[in-house]
Amino acid sequence: MIEEVFNVKLPVNETLTLKRNRFCPEDITTSTKRISIVTGIHGDELEGQYVCYLLGKWLNEHPEHIKGIIDIYPSMNPMGIDSITRGFPFYDVDINRIFPGSTSEFLPGQLANAIVESVKGSDYAIDIHASNIFLRELPQVRISKLFADTLVPLAEKLGIDFIWVHDAVTVLESTFSHAMNTLGTQTLVVEMGVGMRITKSYGQGLSEGILNLMAHAGIIEKKPMRVCKTAVSTLNSNVHFINASTSGIFVPTLEHNVIAMKGEQLGEIIDPLLGCVKESILSPCNGLLFTIREYPVVYEGSLIARILEENKAEKQ
Amino acid sequence: MKEELLFQIDSLSRGPMSVKAFRFGVPDATPSCVIVGPMTGNAIDQLWIASHLVRFLRQKELENAGFVKGEILIVPTANTYSFNMGKAFWPMDNTDIDVMFPGYDKGETTQRIAAKLFEKTNNYDYAILLEARKDHVECVPYVKILNTENSDVEDARDFGLDFIYQKDVDPIDTVSINYNWQVWNAKSFSIISGKKGTLRKIESGKVIDAIIRFLSLKGIIDYKVFQGAKGNIVTKESIEIIKSAAAGLFDALAQVGDHVAHGQPLARIYNALDGSLLQTIVSPSEGIITCRYDYPLIFQNAIAYRIAKLSNDY
Repeated sequence: MIEEVFNVKLPVNETLTLKRNRFCPEDITTSTKRISIVTGIHGDELEGQYVCYLLGKWLNEHPEHIKGIIDIYPSMNPMGIDSITRGFPFYDVDINRIFPGSTSEFLPGQLANAIVESVKGSDYAIDIHASNIFLRELPQVRISKLFADTLVPLAEKLGIDFIWVHDAVTVLESTFSHAMNTLGTQTLVVEMGVGMRITKSYGQGLSEGILNLMAHAGIIEKKPMRVCKTAVSTLNSNVHFINASTSGIFVPTLEHNVIAMKGEQLGEIIDPLLGCVKESILSPCNGLLFTIREYPVVYEGSLIARILEENKAEKQ
Repeated sequence: MKEELLFQIDSLSRGPMSVKAFRFGVPDATPSCVIVGPMTGNAIDQLWIASHLVRFLRQKELENAGFVKGEILIVPTANTYSFNMGKAFWPMDNTDIDVMFPGYDKGETTQRIAAKLFEKTNNYDYAILLEARKDHVECVPYVKILNTENSDVEDARDFGLDFIYQKDVDPIDTVSINYNWQVWNAKSFSIISGKKGTLRKIESGKVIDAIIRFLSLKGIIDYKVFQGAKGNIVTKESIEIIKSAAAGLFDALAQVGDHVAHGQPLARIYNALDGSLLQTIVSPSEGIITCRYDYPLIFQNAIAYRIAKLSNDY
């Protein structure tokens, strides 16, 4: 059932509409569980589009298995998605830094508020992001330490490669996930792939994981899978950030999603004008290369890679 | 005056981004003040203000070597790259430097720019950021202070501007330079004015006068100034927000700074295709227009005007 959750008229003969697709059983009671799948807050992150499609397809094909309410919100920033724009076009604002918003704010704040009001009351929510256009990410769930006790067990149901528990940062209190977790909806943030692209295998893996989570929660009737491949990082210090020391063109040596050894070359920063290597990027530890730079042009400070140090990771 | 290279960021294909500063007075003398210009590349008013403050102080110091009694550092902008290509934010990744403070010297590029800028500007008694509003509005010049333990409304009155906006700290404010200066015990202010992408010389002139007045009243420069306004304290609650009920072509009838009466027409909105009148926006209260939507096309429910409501609480 397609429902409109926010409408606003645009200046020239158009209406901006946020839509959701609701799947639910015929009888709904107060104990009926509800999950919201949200994506497209950043308009240039498209990985979640495929996940929504796969979930919708499964639910369309198995209506008899639906025991709870499943709301799918594929496009929370429609003009952004339509114009390859991360933020809310015209206002140039990152919607995921203005939650919970309010009706008295400027338009992006009103939109953020409408999303919160619509999702509010869900037992669970999953906010699917791709990486930006600069980085390629292994599928991962990111959780603030503040909510780790309740969210890590939930995230494990997704069977995803990596759960990253990070420090609570004040500025992240203005994200969708923080707003919803504060309101009592257990909300997971998934990051995977790369901006402007769809990685089919990641989409398939995550949609299966979400179905599994829904099965565990009693939202769909499906035999839960056994989950075995998640690696949990519970401390920030497990993750090493590797940034460029100089400007240039980054050319990777290693592929994404491999174990890098300490001292092994991850890639090089080259100078096309001079025809020389400006910097050789080496791994600082043994570990899983879960982030690698996708966009070649770098400045000093540009993030090149992130590695989950192997011996500190808690394997399940 | 001493011209300094604060720091430099290299690029693969462009010349380096050199962030310059201008120092006046005696190094380490007190009281001291740092003035930082815009970090977004479309804040032309603020660049004008910063550069003309440099010009004013340079000329006065040439006339009288003891003109600056304390120390003043002016950084006209830390984002020349964006100014040179008409972009607001950092050209590579569209990140806003003013949400990266106090910065991180081993982090991403804009975190490093923030760290370098913060390191050079966080040891002054007073710190002033020249800031453009990020939404699509034109506004009267006003002082913004963040409600923290170190904020001081009385100091803000020394600018002599009509309005002082006392803002509660939102999460996003905690990564601004203004907030972080305060954490490091500076008395910090943002001066907000004008309209991004344009030059409003009259409004900018008011800001220049306000900063000169502040420097004078704080004993940082030896200069006689006229008294300014006492400064009306406004908060979120004392601002009336007026939204558009319709979308279309926006014809503003009232301008920023206008004193408007209850029921006074402020703007009209017309259908963008057939020209029919869709809405006349009227003022719901008496007061002074502090902000006006600045684009001729308007969305439904966009904030068209902000009015400081007339009350006895100022």
